[in-house]
Amino acid sequence: MVKFYQHSFSYDHPWQNVTLAFWLRYPNPFASHVLAVDVLDRYVDEQGVLRTTRLVLKKGKAPKWFPKTFLKNSEAFVIEESEVDPKSMTMITRTKNLNHVRIMQIVETQKFQVGNEENTTTCKSEACIVSRFGWGMTSRIEMFGQSNFAANASKARKGMRHILQMIREKQAGGRLPFFHTQPSS
Amino acid sequence: MSSSVGPDCTELKQKYDNCFNKWYSEKFLKGDTTPECEDLFKDYRACVMVTLKEKGIDKLLDESRKEAPFPSTSFGENNNNDNKQS
Repeated sequence: MVKFYQHSFSYDHPWQNVTLAFWLRYPNPFASHVLAVDVLDRYVDEQGVLRTTRLVLKKGKAPKWFPKTFLKNSEAFVIEESEVDPKSMTMITRTKNLNHVRIMQIVETQKFQVGNEENTTTCKSEACIVSRFGWGMTSRIEMFGQSNFAANASKARKGMRHILQMIREKQAGGRLPFFHTQPSS
Repeated sequence: MSSSVGPDCTELKQKYDNCFNKWYSEKFLKGDTTPECEDLFKDYRACVMVTLKEKGIDKLLDESRKEAPFPSTSFGENNNNDNKQS
């Protein structure tokens, strides 16, 4: 497996809102390929950490050169595991595709923490990709996965910002509680 | 709000999601970690599990859980454990 993507960026929103936006991020105008999201497991552990497993159903998209016989089913299931620790104000999420794994598996991990400036949140993201397809197509598939991933990551951030803006507007209207976070030292 | 994989479960999901979102922002993030919405979750989850079984996704889920525990402690390091998936 190759780690191919590492990225760090910041949201101009308090950490609490970013973690709430993570739950609310589908549907959004930048994720029309997401068909359904379900919570499969959720509990607060002994340390007070909220642990969640969700299943996301996406419309698949294969490159034109990919042999159609191997993709009878274009639905892609993605499993998303996460933990939110309200004491340390850290949210860690990990997503990976459940089916089509022989063609390509992408595992993405993200870590959300309070930023250095007031009411900002940093997100560190990294992704790994592996194809076990063989037939001389492995590197081509991995390349496709990499270029596609970067474009999708950008769309995912736009989707999060869209939801964050909606949360901000709701808070201004008094329909959601306000959060205020001090920068981490 | 997003739909459920089971068209029949979407209504149960939305009831649960509404409850969770309120609990999450008004209680959990403010330090009260006592769970709420458990009954709504039980009904919603039971509905989803039926759909997953019909679609054959339940087996994929079981395999996926066997192979990779949540790697929260290894974030930022090389996730070498992930190489062992076959």
